[in-house]
Amino acid sequence: MWLGLLAGLPAAAQRPAPIVAPAARYWVTFRDKAGQTLQPAAYFDPAAQARRRRQHLPAADSTDFPVRPDYLARVRALTDSVTLVSRWFNAVACRATAAQAARMRLLPGVRSVEAWPERPLLPTGTPRLKASPLPAGPPAPLSPADLALAHRQTAVLGAAGFRQAGQQGQGLRIAVFDVGFRVTDTHPAFAHLHRRRAIAATYDFLRRTSDVYRGGTHGTEVLSCLAGQLPDSTFLGLAPAAEFLLARTEQQGRELYAEEEAWLAAAEWADRHGADIINSSLGYTDRRYFPEQMNGRTSLVARAAAMAVRKGMLVVNAAGNDGDDPTWRTVGTPADADSVLTVGGLDPDTFLHLPFSSYGPAAGGRLKPNVAAFGVAITAVPGGFERAEGTSFASPLVAGFAACAWQQQRDLPVMALFARLQQAGQLHPYFDYAHGYGLPQAAAFSAAGQPAVLPDPTFDFVAADSAVSVIIRPEAAVVPAYSLPLQAAAESLANLDPDAAGPPVPLYWQLRDASGFIIRYEVLEVSQRAILRVPLRELPTGGTLRVHFRGYTASFGGL
Amino acid sequence: MMRRNPISPQLLALLLLAVCPRLAAAQRVLLRADPATDTIPRRYGPNRAFYQHLYLGYTAVVGAADGPGATLSYPQSGELFAGLRNKWRVTGTTAAGLDARFAYLRYQLRQNSAKQVPTAQPHYRESLNLTQLQLEPFVRLSFGRRGNVVGHYLDVSGWGSWALSSNHSYEDRPGQGQGTRTLVREVRPAYLRRWSWGLGTRLGAGRYALVGRYRLADTFSNLAPAIYPELPRWLLGVEVGVF
Repeated sequence: MWLGLLAGLPAAAQRPAPIVAPAARYWVTFRDKAGQTLQPAAYFDPAAQARRRRQHLPAADSTDFPVRPDYLARVRALTDSVTLVSRWFNAVACRATAAQAARMRLLPGVRSVEAWPERPLLPTGTPRLKASPLPAGPPAPLSPADLALAHRQTAVLGAAGFRQAGQQGQGLRIAVFDVGFRVTDTHPAFAHLHRRRAIAATYDFLRRTSDVYRGGTHGTEVLSCLAGQLPDSTFLGLAPAAEFLLARTEQQGRELYAEEEAWLAAAEWADRHGADIINSSLGYTDRRYFPEQMNGRTSLVARAAAMAVRKGMLVVNAAGNDGDDPTWRTVGTPADADSVLTVGGLDPDTFLHLPFSSYGPAAGGRLKPNVAAFGVAITAVPGGFERAEGTSFASPLVAGFAACAWQQQRDLPVMALFARLQQAGQLHPYFDYAHGYGLPQAAAFSAAGQPAVLPDPTFDFVAADSAVSVIIRPEAAVVPAYSLPLQAAAESLANLDPDAAGPPVPLYWQLRDASGFIIRYEVLEVSQRAILRVPLRELPTGGTLRVHFRGYTASFGGL
Repeated sequence: MMRRNPISPQLLALLLLAVCPRLAAAQRVLLRADPATDTIPRRYGPNRAFYQHLYLGYTAVVGAADGPGATLSYPQSGELFAGLRNKWRVTGTTAAGLDARFAYLRYQLRQNSAKQVPTAQPHYRESLNLTQLQLEPFVRLSFGRRGNVVGHYLDVSGWGSWALSSNHSYEDRPGQGQGTRTLVREVRPAYLRRWSWGLGTRLGAGRYALVGRYRLADTFSNLAPAIYPELPRWLLGVEVGVF
């Protein structure tokens, strides 16, 4: 099987490493693919072919065709250190001297030769503890609070509903791009995956081997938020029945520098091997880009992610952990791409934005993050499990959610799924640049096909000469009590009214200008019915005051 | 969507609000953001229009004097400096800047039979010291595409300095009279120039840089004896940015 996979890799990946690497790296783009063809049935994994059929995509298009061998041969003749051949972008990455680059520019068929510096791609997670050697003996038991969190991190997304419907990601392939998956092959949290051979393929795009169970443990933690299992059988993610493709695209530690091209190569590999979803808890920020360049078009990874979506894969990416970094604050890339589902982090205690979770909007005032999930989660680490912080872990929680949702409506085109995932957000149609549309709710998918039920109004706007007030209706001002059931089912928490199960429900409000850009937003603790008073002079011309409370969203203004 | 639903109890509540505005103010804000202001691209930062940071470093005097009579001790002969760097970005790869710094320069004179500077008199320890205020305009060429970070760069500069104080210090052991040692400091000796100037270069990566400075001006003034050799002109060392 591995031989087959290796044969499927970009041609350059099989070349021996050069003895002496020239100083600079270049990205060489070709003009055309004239004369190239492809036999999709031979090239693509059956799962990849099925995905394209389901989404009414052609079995292959010109972006899947191989790069012209004559163009490739000419580049190789000039420099023997081609490090990537990209079919999607009809380009190669290579190492060359400036003189060689100048000669490459003159080659027939070469559209451009761009300097392609190496920069770090940093994991967006901030595990609280560093990786430690595997301790002998059984894993240390989790505290009651951590056990509760392990249950809640999926329960709040509606794990019970998906489970009862038999939706745990069966039949879907999820590719995970990360810094390494150390101990994933031996950790008991993934024993069920190994038993049923659910890890369909692995590849380390840096070392060019199939062994990804080395390097960092960040990928192990991320994977556990998709399919990890505690000793008491609690699943830490929503897609334990899915298949997985594990790609190591990033280095950490002393070899911190990695390449965006590894992400692209992994995306092409995932496409070929039939991935339905890519989870990437990685992001570029200020070492290479400015916040205003987070426009989804500047970085290679953002363009690669957009291309992956065009191939029918859902790309789920962590928003980033720069929310409390005043010099960056916004999402990184590829989370900035429009068609990437960007996931922010929520505090499990308050269900509100975690300070470190990167804020939107992305450049151009575009909504980011799209949705949010717990940014503090229980994850599998060498020797056991522990609580970890970072939007890295919110992303796989949502990727698992997407797998279940897609399993339910398998023929949904990827961007229709994207829209449905946003609509499933707890706040939808309200959104802000901290929570996006909020925590996705499985109930939104279980109600699919049924007529939409508009929520009852929970508040009113009361306008006066100089201000507008928001008054919560008496019937919405009741804090529901929770009565214990006779027998508590394992999933009972998820079946509760979220208002009762979660923390006190806050009120969200925002001011939007005439273009829809949110110029200010707040979340208020609700301790009285007369909750908000906004002077009319603060309302921008043509703008609106938008409020969300207990599932009901309404706007005032447009003056 | 606009909603207006005037209901009398709510009007009453509104009146209450108008009378007691603190009621609304009592609401606890759990999260607040102002994208209108906090998403404005910054003009300040390591690779923005303007950046300012402190730095400090040490450069060693390198080379020998331009003649006999002033053999120096190494690495005691050197310059400690700390300053403020102001940088203006010109293009993505070029910038201009102005450094202002205090620099303490010491020439530690080795005591041997050939010594002539400033006198032939041997001491236990002897040095010429200058505390300088320096200004150094520079141009910067940066390498590689980067975001809002300092990155890799090469600076070329010209510098000028004014010695706020200068002295010739020496220590004798045993000291005069009953003392175990005698410390003497001759302040502002006339043979030391107070003005100095030269060229400099820096090769940096992030906050660290290798620094080289070459002095064009002479160390000694016209009032110095002609026998005084010119002291080494090169300073080489390292610098650390504080940011």
